[in-house]
Amino acid sequence: MNQNDFLNELENIDLSKYKGVIKIIVGILIVGFTASTSVFTVDPEEKAVVLRFGKVVGPPVGPGYHFKLPFFIEQEYKVPVQRQLTLQFGFRTQSDQGMQESPLQQSYEDLISESLMVTGDLNVANIEWVTLYTISDPVKYRFRVRNVDQTFRDMNEAVMREVVGDRTINEVLTIGRSEIIDKVLTKLQLLADEYSLGIVVDQVILQDVNPPASVKPAYDSVNEAQQEMDTTIQKAKKEYNDVIPKAEGSAIGTVTTAEGYKIKRVNEAKGAASQFTQVFEEYLKAPEVTRQRIYLETMTTIYQAVDQKIIIDENANGLLPLLNIPAKDK
Amino acid sequence: MKNTSIALASLVLLATILAYSSMYVVSEQEQAFVTRFGKIQGEPKIKPGLYFKLPFTDDVRRFERRTLEWDGRPSESITQDKKTIRIDTYARWQIDDPILFFEKLKDEDFARSRLSAILDGATRTAVSKHALVEVIRSVPREEVLAVDSNQTTMDQEQKLHEFIKGRQKISDEILRESKPKVLEFGIKLLDFRFKRINYSEKVQAAQFTRMIAERDKIAAEFRSKGQGGAAEWLGRKLKELDRINSEATLLEKVIRGEADAEAAQIYAEAYSKSPEAQEFYRFIKTMETYEKVLSEKDMLILSTKSEFFNFLREMNPTPAAPK
Repeated sequence: MNQNDFLNELENIDLSKYKGVIKIIVGILIVGFTASTSVFTVDPEEKAVVLRFGKVVGPPVGPGYHFKLPFFIEQEYKVPVQRQLTLQFGFRTQSDQGMQESPLQQSYEDLISESLMVTGDLNVANIEWVTLYTISDPVKYRFRVRNVDQTFRDMNEAVMREVVGDRTINEVLTIGRSEIIDKVLTKLQLLADEYSLGIVVDQVILQDVNPPASVKPAYDSVNEAQQEMDTTIQKAKKEYNDVIPKAEGSAIGTVTTAEGYKIKRVNEAKGAASQFTQVFEEYLKAPEVTRQRIYLETMTTIYQAVDQKIIIDENANGLLPLLNIPAKDK
Repeated sequence: MKNTSIALASLVLLATILAYSSMYVVSEQEQAFVTRFGKIQGEPKIKPGLYFKLPFTDDVRRFERRTLEWDGRPSESITQDKKTIRIDTYARWQIDDPILFFEKLKDEDFARSRLSAILDGATRTAVSKHALVEVIRSVPREEVLAVDSNQTTMDQEQKLHEFIKGRQKISDEILRESKPKVLEFGIKLLDFRFKRINYSEKVQAAQFTRMIAERDKIAAEFRSKGQGGAAEWLGRKLKELDRINSEATLLEKVIRGEADAEAAQIYAEAYSKSPEAQEFYRFIKTMETYEKVLSEKDMLILSTKSEFFNFLREMNPTPAAPK
């Protein structure tokens, strides 16, 4: 305290000379001190809890200027209720808001043990996630639980493992994701209420869900094999589809050709039959003449057509060996 | 005037100091009690507010009223089925009786180490009495299979393991068991949970190897399935081809047969109307055949004996008798 020095100085100074000035200065000091301890500002994202002699008075107040009783009779504690707070698990892109110690300097080992967890089929999954939350009750947040953020971090890890522990690795890696998110969020909120943390869990986001790093290539190779299986089968199917419709078409073609043949054959037969019948009817009118005529007509055609003709008398024999039969070279 | 004002100032100052040291504030997050020369005075002040004490002689001891964290050190335990796991736990606790707490433990550091001794021990005991799956599973449920899952033939290792008690019940047991033990320190244990349970490094490596082997098996199964599927389609293709082609051939033969049969029937009907028709048909057909068979390249050796030359020979043509 400088009060003694202050008093000494007061003795040394000719008070009557400065009396007025001192009075003014002291007055200003007192007024200033009183004023500065009886006003406080709340930022737009905050709410303030006011404590009178350590005890909460009234509901928390919103943004703006506020009056309070001076000289630390009333004190305000500001809590950022509008700010969405983030906790990251298994990775860090930024230091967690609201955390006292910056977890940025976490080692890889720490991070990996944060995200590795045993699944319900006793396999291991590597799950990285983010939880977003906001402070809903400044009094609870500030005065019921110490270090809410660390508490909430522990809860997150416990709850996520509890949920993942009831699922197979296949569920975790594939279809179970949104269900896991729902479950974790619900459980976290229940637990947060049970612990009186004064927070609302807004969102749980599964960032990266993987098998452990050393197992991942094996998982990838399964995906590859699955794709390979699909393409192999697709290829065979395609070949089937390439060949079969064509074969079906050509089968129809074959049958249709046969049908065409049938039509042709029958028509030809009908035509020939009709022709024959007509000629035959004429023939019946004069059989001998017609027959002779046809015979002779045919012979005419034949004899005209053939170049070489040899006529042998029926009584002549042994002529054949002498005949020079031309080689067929044409 | 000078003396009176100094005396007045001193008086005011003294009064302020006196008032200041005989009042104390217990804040919302605290509880406190007063000690006089080390001896506890009266009841602890659990509610926040302004309180009075004797100046100078009385000390105020303040303690947290809020729920506090306890974070267990990760430690290795062996489960009943002989698996070494690293287990990390946390608990929530409160200073329930500040006087008892002060007398027995003095401060939070001591409290934490006491909690560690009790909870770590209880955890290790509980873990050793249960199989690994008991601290992993918590709620009975049916596994959901992917709709498009090709993994229907996957074996037991991919299935949820059965359990009896489960994680929740075991941690609740530890809580229930430890609660009375810390009560004598003025501590109220609110909750206890398993935070992390992981395989120890050695077990984990073995587990990873198993997972890899498992995956390799599945990959091989997929490849084999792919080849099987392709072979199936190939077979189907060949079968279909054979079916389609043979059916077509069959139909073709049937139709052509029908065609030939029908044509034959038509011919037969026309040509065998009467014996004359038959004979005439044979004659015409013979003539046609001659015409077709013989061409300019052929040589024709004709005997005068032939019917054609009948006239040439006899000059008395008569109609030829039917053959």
